[in-house]
Amino acid sequence: MEALFFNADSGFLEGIVRGYKAGLLTQSQYSNLTQCETLEDLRTQLASTDYGNFLANEPSPISTSTIADKALKNLVDQFNYIRSNAVAPLDKFLDYITYAYMIDNLVLLITGTLHKRKLTELLKRCHPLGWFEGMPALGVPTNAEELYHTVLVETPLAEYFRDCLKVDDLDALNIEIIRNTLYKAYLEDFQRFCQSLGGPTADVMGRILAFEADRRSINITINSIGTELSKEQRARLFPTIGRLYLGGNNALAKAEDIDQVRSACDSVTEYRAFFEGVGGMEGAAAQIEDRFFVEEVSLNKMAFLQQFQYGVFYAYVKLKEQEIRNITWISECIAQEARNRIQDYITLF
Amino acid sequence: MGTPAVDEYPSLFRSEAMSLVQLFVPAEVAHDTVAELGELGNVEFKDLNPDVNPFQRSFVGEIRRIEEMARRVRFFAAQIERERDPVPIRPLYDSAPLIAVGPGAAQTMDNIDVKLSEHESRLLDMNDSYEVLSARLAELTEARHVLRETAVFFQRAESNQTEIRSSFDDSSAPLLQHDDRENQYLTVSNVQLDLEFIAGVIDRTRLPTFERVLWRVLRGNLYMNHIDITEPFVDAATDNSTYKNVFIIFAHGEALLAKIRKVSESLGATIYPIDANADKRVESLREVNTRVEDLKAALYNTGSTRRAELVKIGESLRSWEDLVRKEKAVYETLNLFNYDVGRKTLIAEGWCPSRDITMIQLALRHATEESGTSVPPILHELRTNKTPPTYQRTNKFTEGFQTIMDSYGIATYQEVNPGLFAVVTFPFLFAVMFGDIGHGAIILAAALWMIFNERKWARADLGEIMGMFFYGRYIILLMGLFSVYTGFIYNDIFSKTLHLFRSGWTFPESGDGIVHGEANGHVYPFGLDPGWHGAENALIFTNSYKMKMSLVLGVTHMTFALCLQVPNHLRFNRLADLYHGFIPQMLFLQSIFGYLVVCIIYKWVVDWSKSSIPPPSLLNMLIAMFLSPGTVEDHLYRGQAFVQTVLLLIAGVCVPWMLCVKPYLLWKETKRIQNHGYVGLVATDDNHIARHDDLEGEEEGDGRAIAADLGEEHEKHDFSEEVIHQIIHTIEFCLGCISHTASYLRLWALSLAHAQLSEVLWKMTLGRVLGAEGLFGKVKLLFVLVLWFNATVGILCVMEVRGCYQIVQPKNVRLLMVGFWDK
Repeated sequence: MEALFFNADSGFLEGIVRGYKAGLLTQSQYSNLTQCETLEDLRTQLASTDYGNFLANEPSPISTSTIADKALKNLVDQFNYIRSNAVAPLDKFLDYITYAYMIDNLVLLITGTLHKRKLTELLKRCHPLGWFEGMPALGVPTNAEELYHTVLVETPLAEYFRDCLKVDDLDALNIEIIRNTLYKAYLEDFQRFCQSLGGPTADVMGRILAFEADRRSINITINSIGTELSKEQRARLFPTIGRLYLGGNNALAKAEDIDQVRSACDSVTEYRAFFEGVGGMEGAAAQIEDRFFVEEVSLNKMAFLQQFQYGVFYAYVKLKEQEIRNITWISECIAQEARNRIQDYITLF
Repeated sequence: MGTPAVDEYPSLFRSEAMSLVQLFVPAEVAHDTVAELGELGNVEFKDLNPDVNPFQRSFVGEIRRIEEMARRVRFFAAQIERERDPVPIRPLYDSAPLIAVGPGAAQTMDNIDVKLSEHESRLLDMNDSYEVLSARLAELTEARHVLRETAVFFQRAESNQTEIRSSFDDSSAPLLQHDDRENQYLTVSNVQLDLEFIAGVIDRTRLPTFERVLWRVLRGNLYMNHIDITEPFVDAATDNSTYKNVFIIFAHGEALLAKIRKVSESLGATIYPIDANADKRVESLREVNTRVEDLKAALYNTGSTRRAELVKIGESLRSWEDLVRKEKAVYETLNLFNYDVGRKTLIAEGWCPSRDITMIQLALRHATEESGTSVPPILHELRTNKTPPTYQRTNKFTEGFQTIMDSYGIATYQEVNPGLFAVVTFPFLFAVMFGDIGHGAIILAAALWMIFNERKWARADLGEIMGMFFYGRYIILLMGLFSVYTGFIYNDIFSKTLHLFRSGWTFPESGDGIVHGEANGHVYPFGLDPGWHGAENALIFTNSYKMKMSLVLGVTHMTFALCLQVPNHLRFNRLADLYHGFIPQMLFLQSIFGYLVVCIIYKWVVDWSKSSIPPPSLLNMLIAMFLSPGTVEDHLYRGQAFVQTVLLLIAGVCVPWMLCVKPYLLWKETKRIQNHGYVGLVATDDNHIARHDDLEGEEEGDGRAIAADLGEEHEKHDFSEEVIHQIIHTIEFCLGCISHTASYLRLWALSLAHAQLSEVLWKMTLGRVLGAEGLFGKVKLLFVLVLWFNATVGILCVMEVRGCYQIVQPKNVRLLMVGFWDK
């Protein structure tokens, strides 16, 4: 049934986003990019892709950060175009996508203020999709409650922040706890919203968000092993929507080394592969992280296989983000003459 | 394929004879040669390194440099655009041309590059200082506003002060924490408020957030005042104007004040230290005012030097743009070329009209002389059996027509060019619909006006709509001419008639108020008899007349278009297509619709008032011809039943003829070849290239290389594909005949609609007031005349022209393409 009327409201935007997706760089374009000798070559090469002449008006010694900024601007423009054309409930769905960036920005600002960074500098590093009203004022409060009452109460994050109010001062550990609590609440809420939409959206987003939740659980576990974070606290940070919930999460909460993490994840066949050939703690996180990215890309690509659902919008934003990371990686490798690592990008298509 | 003779007279009938040429250009003259050929514009270079990445080609460095220059030029253009008063830009045709060929070329380019970067850095410097100054100015203006507004506030507070004092009289003493300051205040004026406050300026859009955040930070104890600053602040870097507000917040206690400061800073507010002392405020206001004046003067100076710089840039901006664009095109073309082994010569291949080879050779020689070297580029023709590209030489008259035809499809090399016939058929079909002397004359006048202003307007940018009309000015001219002609045939001028000759009808007065026309033996020599105008049955008459006429025209047009394939078949020696394509198609068309046309003309010729039988309905006749062959109800002529049966049989035979014969012949041909023991040549692309190179190597001796790509002409004759193709063709043709004939009736419909519309316009406006008397009547007449004229021009001449144009265009184009149906 939802297929019957989907196009009336969202058909246009789905078409647009599928068009955008067709413009994502392909394997052959990546291999052309990796052959570039200088950033100028890269600029020429990118001009023949869907990015067009987005760098044409930049003065000549071009820096990697300019490339990354412009590419991000490209994504933001596309997202804003879609967002401004969206009607309910797609607009809400798109807003949910931005909440993740809001959380990142929030954490960035608090951490930055903690380390006495300059506010203007911090604001420049914030993700433009996660901008919210009153965001710059985040640097003012000194404890969680104040944070909540001063700024967050009128943002969409307020609901998620309620669980963080117990935290008293903002130190590095507490900020991490805040970040993960927020993320947990966000993921659960987003999942609830997607399930309330029903239909293929619930299916596709259910898969993607469950993976996202598990990824966070595993990351929290790996990163918290050997820190002062207590096991009860750790357990409280795990989102309750993943495929590892409940048994896997319980095992993760008790895990003390990488092998226990591995056995906790054994119940899910797809995750078993992540740990293959992973040695001790050193480098394990980075190795697994890369495999997570690959898995995320393939999940997001799968979202495009189904029609009449909102998953494509989420998937496109994530894929484009990955593409921007890839371009940045390649250009960094070129700029720093680290050509042996240039192949370490993640191919999308 | 017959090799076309080069000395054939150029014509629109077929596309130009083309030759594949190979150029050996010494590297040092390559740039000049390409520039020269670019100016000439009649060589199409082939990409000789299609699998080389764009950034790995030979001239990437040069292109990059040019792009950098282009970026600077764009930057200048944007800067000039941004300047509030328009900066004069000298048009290209007025500027001295920048010459980037010849021995001094590199020097010239270097000079310009240097000049551009100098200009850029100077502009950037000036922009920077301008921005700094304007930022400073904005700050001072803000400060001034804060001072003024707070002053207003304090004044108001002072006037209320007595009441405040009285109410706080008892408990005021503990609140006065800063005794010394209090004393100081008291010395200045004994009515001072003792509250600490923060004043500043904030963006208006952020004000609500700011207020809410503060309210929460201060836990509801917020006393804040804000006032709009009416004039906008313009950011010098982006030209965006923002509106700001002055705010003043009162709070107590250092901690709170610090918090407020922090919030203000984080939300982008600017805080200005304001003294609570009124005299000091006045003093600082004065100081700020003088500094604002100074800054304004400085800003004005910077602005005017910047403007002078821009004016200087504006003088040569267009020629730089031109040069940069040309140079980029030159290097992009050079990138298509191949280096020879020694990297001393560039090898280029391209198509050019055979007729222009001498011109190209002259250009090559010229380029060599210009660049001052003695090694000329060598050009020679290659023999090939690739199909050359189609090149239709046009002039300003045929250009518009050719564009219309090309938008539908482009004929294969050396095929008959339908654009030639479009010159006549297109405006004529238009005129059939638009026939009106008056309206035709208006369009004609408009077209003539555009043509007389041609020289002037060709240079100017006319905008999208006007530019389109101007581009099609010769089409419009012919459309106007033909409309006048058909207008004479319809005898229609603004829905009135012309009474040029003696009418064939007289209208004797009769008693009962109904006037019956009587034939008086005269025949109106040209066009429609004006006697029909206003007659009761005028519409019935013109209806039938125009319907039949459009059918006759339609079938004639289709027959003609069908005939266009004959020269193609003869030229390319495709006799099978002629005998088994063209002839059955023609027979099919003529036996059904040709017959209908003959009947229409026959029915016109017969004087039915003297005939013994009533006039038969031709429509019913055609339907009966299919539904009940062999029987005819209302006879048109004797022996009709037999004739119709024969025609139907002919049409019936033509269908399998078209369908089966050609595939059968093809099949027989392949069989024959296979029986001779030949096997199909399956060549991969790699083979071609290898073969190509081999041959080139071999032939180097006699200086005439042969590029023999055999594969392109050897399409695999896949038999089943051929059959399907043929089935589609046959069905398409048979259905097309019927649907095209029907769609020609649109000529009739549009023509009637046009006539009716112009009649309504006349009756509703001018017809009503034409007889009015007196001054008022005259004024009314004048007013209505203007109204009528505007409506005529607006609705009929512009909107209908567009409408008819859009109908004629696909129809005419498609029908002329009928000739190419067998492709």
